[in-house]
Amino acid sequence: MLRVHDLVTAYGKIEALKGVSLEVAQGSITCLLGPNGAGKTTLMMTIAGVLKPKSGSIRFSESEISALPAHAIVSRGIALVPENRLVFPTMTVLENLHAGAYQRRNGFAEDIERLFVRFPRLKERSEQLAGTLSGGEQQMLAVARALMSRPKLLLMDEPSLGLAPLIVEEIFAIIAELHRDGTTIFLVEQNAHMALKVAHRFYLMEQGRVTFSGDPGSLAEDEVIRRAYLGSSKN
Amino acid sequence: MIDFIQNTLDGLTAGASYALLGVGFTLIFGVLRRANLSYGPAIMFGAYLATWASFSFKGLLLLAAIAVAGTVLAGVYVERLCFAPHRRGPAAAAMVASFAIWMQLEEFATLLLPRHLYAFPALYEGGPLNFGPFFVRVESLLILLAAVATCIAGWGILYATRFGIAVRAVIDDPRAAELSGINVGAVSLRVFAAASAIGGLTGFLIVASHEQVTPMLGMWSTLKGMLAMMLGGLGSLPGAIAGGLALGLIEAHSQWYLGPQFRDFIAYLLLFALLAARPRWMNTRSAY
Repeated sequence: MLRVHDLVTAYGKIEALKGVSLEVAQGSITCLLGPNGAGKTTLMMTIAGVLKPKSGSIRFSESEISALPAHAIVSRGIALVPENRLVFPTMTVLENLHAGAYQRRNGFAEDIERLFVRFPRLKERSEQLAGTLSGGEQQMLAVARALMSRPKLLLMDEPSLGLAPLIVEEIFAIIAELHRDGTTIFLVEQNAHMALKVAHRFYLMEQGRVTFSGDPGSLAEDEVIRRAYLGSSKN
Repeated sequence: MIDFIQNTLDGLTAGASYALLGVGFTLIFGVLRRANLSYGPAIMFGAYLATWASFSFKGLLLLAAIAVAGTVLAGVYVERLCFAPHRRGPAAAAMVASFAIWMQLEEFATLLLPRHLYAFPALYEGGPLNFGPFFVRVESLLILLAAVATCIAGWGILYATRFGIAVRAVIDDPRAAELSGINVGAVSLRVFAAASAIGGLTGFLIVASHEQVTPMLGMWSTLKGMLAMMLGGLGSLPGAIAGGLALGLIEAHSQWYLGPQFRDFIAYLLLFALLAARPRWMNTRSAY
């Protein structure tokens, strides 16, 4: 479904991605693990079109999307739940959802109803300003907002960041639920233990390169965790 | 006491035009997080086009339309040249570029109409209205009315339309707006055009109520608009309206009690004090 090949993204002269290649299969939950500064967020931002790659290709459903602006990538069917959530703080919960549906002229009222069933707390707070929500509620809102564009592929950048363990459980339950309903998910996580429980396939990224890929069973969990947090010693 | 009330009335009516300029400035600042120094000169450009057209015909509505169209044209030119290429770049680059375009627009206007001062058709021919001992100019009431109507329309668009949601999303977080499928560049350009239209209308009302136009209108509009925006806390539309009215009041009263030469002195002193002190309510993050 998503095929990234030899992708290079640079900030000025510093290359944050040094030729990344990976694949996300349709209907899967694919997980990207790695220590801070490995380039995970840069990869997500490049796929979503916020950052422009220096070279390499990003193919989605067999068409090249690496040159498209972010709003055009949303209309192709990719939505990113960004790191740190980035909800619109001075807008209400409902307005945040409307912003997420910006490219759809109509028919999204039912989607909001369905999302409110899935996220009852957002329904309770639908007229509240998003900036006044708790971290967990903001994360729910960021996921719901991304879903409003009806993505085929949902990118999630560290959805568990800074959240209490109970909320993290809840977020992962939602990820599993979305996957059951047919959404393909590409997930960046620091929480390797939780990620390996839901993922079908995972990639390890270190210093701008993919250093390992496999099924969750193909590498001992403690080894994954060691490399995901600390990086491998071989470099 | 009668003087005080008359000054207050004068201040509020002058403040109405400052409020309009402040609203235009705030809209642009809100979506771009950049100060557009060329806002006033674009208004002057529109007013000069209308003055030039007024040699051939006097229809006020048509002249107003020309002033608005000219300002929107100049505004979009400024956006494409100064702000679109620097959306992610340093704020100073865009600001300095807008200063260069200021000079360009002023030169163009003085080439079109080289004398320092031109007459402009009057907005209203009759005298001021009397309320007991007080005078109010009809022109000022028209400007006040335009300010109120603009704010109601703007509020309606921002809070009750799909486009308004997009604008507020861009103001809140441009990156998240992009990720939500909003074309941030297109939204910014449209806001710029709308702010320029407000500016063009304000410029027309000002020159038609003063019945004259000079190249100073550019700097005057930029300064008054920027001061109104900053007094209102940077980035808040209701704040800009309050800031404009407050500026009008401060000017009217200092002119009366300290003398006419102090009118602008106090205004500039205020701008300096705000820039130097940057009080906490001048919050660059606050939105509408």
